[in-house]
Amino acid sequence: MTYTKKRSVYAFLFLAPYALSFLTFIVVPVCVALGLAFMQYDLTARESTKFVGFRNFSEALHDAYFWAGLKATLSYLILMVPGLLVAAFGMALGLNAMSRGRNTVRALLFLPGMFNVAVTAILWQWFYNGEFGLFNFVLKKIGLGALPWLSDRAYAMPSIVVMSLWWAIGGTTVVLLAALQQIPRQIVEAACLDGATTGALFSKITLPLMRPVLLFVVVANTIGAFQVFGQPYLLTRGGPELSTRGLVQYIYETAFNNYRMGYGAAMSWLLFAIIALFAFVQYQFLRTSVS
Amino acid sequence: MTKVFRSLNALIMRVLAFIFLSPVILMILTSLKPEPEVLNPASAIPHHWTLSNFKQVLGWSEEAPFARWLLNSVFISTSATLLVLLFSSMAAYAIVRLRVPGGNVFLAVIVATMMLPAQLFLVPLYLMLSRLHWLDTPAALIVPVTAGGFGVFMLSQFMRSVPEAIEEAALMDGCSSLGVFQHVVLPLCAPAIATLGIFTFIGSWNDFMGPLIFMDSVRNYTLPVGIALYQTSYYTEYGLTLATSALATAPLIVVFMLFQRQIVDSMASTGLKD
Repeated sequence: MTYTKKRSVYAFLFLAPYALSFLTFIVVPVCVALGLAFMQYDLTARESTKFVGFRNFSEALHDAYFWAGLKATLSYLILMVPGLLVAAFGMALGLNAMSRGRNTVRALLFLPGMFNVAVTAILWQWFYNGEFGLFNFVLKKIGLGALPWLSDRAYAMPSIVVMSLWWAIGGTTVVLLAALQQIPRQIVEAACLDGATTGALFSKITLPLMRPVLLFVVVANTIGAFQVFGQPYLLTRGGPELSTRGLVQYIYETAFNNYRMGYGAAMSWLLFAIIALFAFVQYQFLRTSVS
Repeated sequence: MTKVFRSLNALIMRVLAFIFLSPVILMILTSLKPEPEVLNPASAIPHHWTLSNFKQVLGWSEEAPFARWLLNSVFISTSATLLVLLFSSMAAYAIVRLRVPGGNVFLAVIVATMMLPAQLFLVPLYLMLSRLHWLDTPAALIVPVTAGGFGVFMLSQFMRSVPEAIEEAALMDGCSSLGVFQHVVLPLCAPAIATLGIFTFIGSWNDFMGPLIFMDSVRNYTLPVGIALYQTSYYTEYGLTLATSALATAPLIVVFMLFQRQIVDSMASTGLKD
């Protein structure tokens, strides 16, 4: 065999294990999900499996639970993404201005992100519990009334978001801090020599230079927020009165509690379409707006 | 910036770091308290230090085999990580160095599929794994993970930045492609491989939805799903549930302390890629 021929045989052999896995667990599932979305496929009534065209999609659009799920997901997103952005940016600026001990503080902020969602939820359920919770214990101790952290519609979602912020802020802070540190020192010094105020420095130099990273952070966290599941599922099970049951939890319950696989797959594609639309709009808007 | 501002900022940041850490400290301290003290905490520090919560958690029980869950988690996360490292580094080598025909198109397809949300795969994967009779076995949580595109993408990018001259020299000296991969490429890519390994391990260790959907019997659960279940049945015994949480988190805290620099730095750079 010639050298090049031998090399391409090797190349295929090296690629084969991953390519096989990719084909089996990415390509095939996507095709199956696409097919299922147009079928009635209930695990409890397999004999009634049939092609139904767009019926699953039109059912979703008329399903009050679907819209309630979207509403819950959006109310998480609207609190979470701006909250995360502002808090993490503030932390990153604070860290950037530190001369000593920066890495220790950075590591401590990052640590909660290493916890899995079950541990995080257990910890915060102990804080939030109405009767035995730590927060209400402290509130009562200092003479204030207990709060319905997880049992009242008005409090439940903000409580979930506060926990999520604690859990997720480190990663975003670290990304933003790295971007801040890449701003060339000469530019900042030149601006200071020209007498720029701190506010001008921030709006004229820091913000424009951070634009690509901020875009990344907003889009990535929006995509993540649309897929929120573990935090509300474990803290409130979607309650009270389904007010915190997001779309992913509704899809999960449709497919794995009610065994309606076709309908679940169709709603997954709808959620994907919504995510793609949001990401596209944000990308277009943020790419052009700040300049 | 003035000196006053700087020291004020440093103080605020340290206080914030302490506030962030305090739930973790409270978790550990409270898991060392006897139950009456947990519900009526006179102070954060236990009056009577006790290991009884940990003893009860680690003691074998049919409803909550904690040691078994720990073993499942260790086995699944380790296997998944090793397979991901092997498959991804081989694929990246084939694409970047052996220049497999159509390799770059394949890489573009891989990156495109990374944008598909995980929840899209739940239903089809469940049905496929049930056909394969892999439901309720570790394979369901190990093998599909190897299809993830992040590793191939990241290692390809890294390999491109490593000079090819060393590999050519090894080839000239009569080293086979496999030898070059094993003795030259893998060692040169060690930092990227370590980063990928850490991320894959943490991701697998903390996966919640996968085991929740694919595992049926209690003894086959991994830690996150196991302790979530445990918590629903013992939900007011916080000493116990916090002890399970502390135990489940301890391995990750050790990994984090050992690789803190690497984890945080690579997290920072993944956000800066584009």
